[in-house]
Amino acid sequence: MIATMRSRAARAALAALAAALLACNEGLHPITCSGVCGTVTFSGAAPESTQAVYVVAYHTFPRSRDSLFNFRPPLPSLHALPLGGLPTFYDIPVETGRYEWVLAVWVKQGFNLSNADSTLREAGFYRNPADTSQPGVVTVAGGTEPADSINFVVDFGHMHPPCHYYNPPCP
Amino acid sequence: MKRLLLLAAIASTPPGAARAQGTAVVYGVVRDTLNQPIRASVTDVRSGHGTVADNNGRYRLTVGGGTIVIRVGYVGFPSIVDTLSVAAGDSLERNYRLEAAVVELQPTIVTAAKHSQLLDQSVTSVSLVSDTDLARRAVSTVDEAVNKAPGVLFLNGQVNIRGSSGFVEGLGSRVLMLVDGVPANQGDRGGIDWDMVPVADVDHVEVVKGAGSALYGTAALGGVVNLITRDIPVGFHGQLRAAGGTYANPPVNAWQFRDYTGDLGGLDATGSYGTETLRGSLTLGGRHSDGYREQDKSDQWETSGRAEWLPEPGTRVTASGAWTSHQYQNFPTWCVPGTCDTHGQAYQPFMIDNSGRGSYTRSNKGYVAGTLDRTSSPSFAWQVRGSWLRTHFTDANPDDWSVANRLGAEVRGVFHVGGGDDRVLTVGMEGAHTGTTSDIFGDSGRVGDHTEIELAPYAQGEQRIGRLRLTAGTRLDHVTVSGAEPTTVVSPRIGAVLPSALGTWRASVGRGFRAPTVAERYVTTRAFGFQVVPNPDLRPETAWSFELGNSGPFAPWGRLDAALFWTEARQLIEPAFITIVDPVTMNQTAAIQIQNVSRARLRGLDASVTVTPVPALTATIAYLYLDSRDLTRDTVLSFRPRHLLTLSPDYRWRSFSVGADFRYTSRIERIELEDVFGQDPRVAARVLDLRAGWQQGPLSARLLVTNALNYIYNFVPRTLEPVRTISVVATWTY
Repeated sequence: MIATMRSRAARAALAALAAALLACNEGLHPITCSGVCGTVTFSGAAPESTQAVYVVAYHTFPRSRDSLFNFRPPLPSLHALPLGGLPTFYDIPVETGRYEWVLAVWVKQGFNLSNADSTLREAGFYRNPADTSQPGVVTVAGGTEPADSINFVVDFGHMHPPCHYYNPPCP
Repeated sequence: MKRLLLLAAIASTPPGAARAQGTAVVYGVVRDTLNQPIRASVTDVRSGHGTVADNNGRYRLTVGGGTIVIRVGYVGFPSIVDTLSVAAGDSLERNYRLEAAVVELQPTIVTAAKHSQLLDQSVTSVSLVSDTDLARRAVSTVDEAVNKAPGVLFLNGQVNIRGSSGFVEGLGSRVLMLVDGVPANQGDRGGIDWDMVPVADVDHVEVVKGAGSALYGTAALGGVVNLITRDIPVGFHGQLRAAGGTYANPPVNAWQFRDYTGDLGGLDATGSYGTETLRGSLTLGGRHSDGYREQDKSDQWETSGRAEWLPEPGTRVTASGAWTSHQYQNFPTWCVPGTCDTHGQAYQPFMIDNSGRGSYTRSNKGYVAGTLDRTSSPSFAWQVRGSWLRTHFTDANPDDWSVANRLGAEVRGVFHVGGGDDRVLTVGMEGAHTGTTSDIFGDSGRVGDHTEIELAPYAQGEQRIGRLRLTAGTRLDHVTVSGAEPTTVVSPRIGAVLPSALGTWRASVGRGFRAPTVAERYVTTRAFGFQVVPNPDLRPETAWSFELGNSGPFAPWGRLDAALFWTEARQLIEPAFITIVDPVTMNQTAAIQIQNVSRARLRGLDASVTVTPVPALTATIAYLYLDSRDLTRDTVLSFRPRHLLTLSPDYRWRSFSVGADFRYTSRIERIELEDVFGQDPRVAARVLDLRAGWQQGPLSARLLVTNALNYIYNFVPRTLEPVRTISVVATWTY
């Protein structure tokens, strides 16, 4: 009886170990995009007053000052782009969803929440391939289906303040 | 031959010492049933005076003349208790044969009650990491072996017992580390330097789970880890230990970061000499590692020493110390687009954020301790100790430094009323003075000094009533920190142990606390791009800990140890985001501050089963289920995986042995700074370690393959855990 139980215990232990080993290939693996990613190409020279340039995404196009800071990813997750040079890969970790506007935001030195209208600029955005005058909508379907190849140009010579896109726009 | 050995041994004893003091000598050999020598401990039960057999199993113990009780024990074997008579001035040969058992039937522990007791008498759960565990895992530092103990998980070097600590960048460990009973947490940060003591010096480790503040005060909120160093055997002995190995390269080309394979290696040498009255040992060692990631190299030099004077049976004076100098590069966080060239990848786990390039730390640490142990009679023993612990680190990028000196003292008496274990009273007083000089923990970013003074009387009584054994005790901690309000905390604990036909039941309720460290109160630095601001008004965090457990054999070939635990914590000290206003520009910015923010609940099941289906095979399965809640934010507590499973089979055949550890850690559900790192990939961890060993006479060789499947994972944000590492450790012992 005891021998049988011992044998069962040994078999159970081996089975548990084998099952565990079989399930061992779920570690981290290379991914080229964790949300929205692509390549930005630079045009013109960054102004001397530049503090940083970030890529952000809006679920809904910001039509007023109230929605200006509803972008993703949150502020602490932003990483600055280089200020010119060769085309650069970017990747912004954002959650699953539909994004109406993916753009580069130029930030002037001295920026704070109260002077955002005068210290932030749109410096380029992803465009609709069918109508390049319009922003392209980007859909992130999930961890296995990020939105890659969201490529666009950062043009330091043609930047627009946030109110340029408000409804009504600034004078 | 035996007579020659005896004569040689007696020749090393001061002339006439044995006869003059009325002592006798018991000597012999301890082996197992396969006739292999065992480094067993041999103890005179009444005096507590003991020795350890050497690698050939030989022991020699000086005892008082008359009838004595000898206990021979070794982890993994049931102890032998032998009553014998030997006349003063005479000698007696006693050879012992220990039979391998499924379980440690009656191991002795010293941490749970601050005196020697049987494991089954402890009211809280205790896990043991034996010297066999340390040796067969061929570890370089103690934490690598402690990490496999049931219910224990290290998160990037920070120890968690049943999810106690979480992860706060090494600050404020909720586990207290002791070295032979001497508190050894850093004086400034409260963290633990696991490289403080060379692993060659460690005999075994006791891990006491749950709140232990009733005896140990601050930091013992989640448990206590006690490193017990080796006794010094009589005669000349030495050990040479050489280790070498290599790290696996990244598993995919996209993650390659260097054009060579990283290596590691080390050499330790230990020598000791002992007579019946004087003993000493010295260990020197060094090691180098290229690391498994970019900017991950380290060099370490270490030394330790110990001297013992045993003027008579029952009296021991010990002086011990260790010093380690560790220089290591820091891996800040792995890189993502915008922080380095990721070669088109969303993240590069082997490469660093360029802002941390050039970051390294020089960390020097050490301690000296002196202890006087005296067993005055079968019913009373006392101990006095003093200690000095020093830590000194210097960081480059960011440039910070801190020096902390902790002077500690304790006096303790243990009364065995009637000379037995039926009624035991432990009374003591512990005090410490910690001085910290630092820029990062100083005065708002400038160099400053802080002093912390702790004073704590404590008492614990144990009473046996029939089969029931009751324990009750309390400790009163008064903590004064310069620049802050003094605090007084009472930490009571009651518990009971009841042997039964269904194993030994244990239950306990205790209060734990942790006083905020100097670092948590006064830290001024930048982290993750945010200013970290001080908070001198921090208060101690406290917790009530409940446990109901059972241990015992469920079959001749198996043993179960299981416990349900429940901890209610208040005022948990955690980092939090706050808004600060620049006094000049009046701009508002976000900052990080350590605050008393959380009420939390941790409860679950901690169970382990050890089976020996055939005599040469032993397997342990340990499982921890952890249900943790941040009650303030009504979320899962951060950095607490829900499931932790460890399988550890070992097989032995003649001089060879093979074994493995498989550990599954479920995906961490929540992390701190979720806004910053929340979208980062996180996975469950499935890590397999393999080992093989060979031992013949004084030589042994061990092969260890950690993370054999080269499973790529992380526990804390953007910090890669070790990849596959193959190492060989060769040991020669004299």
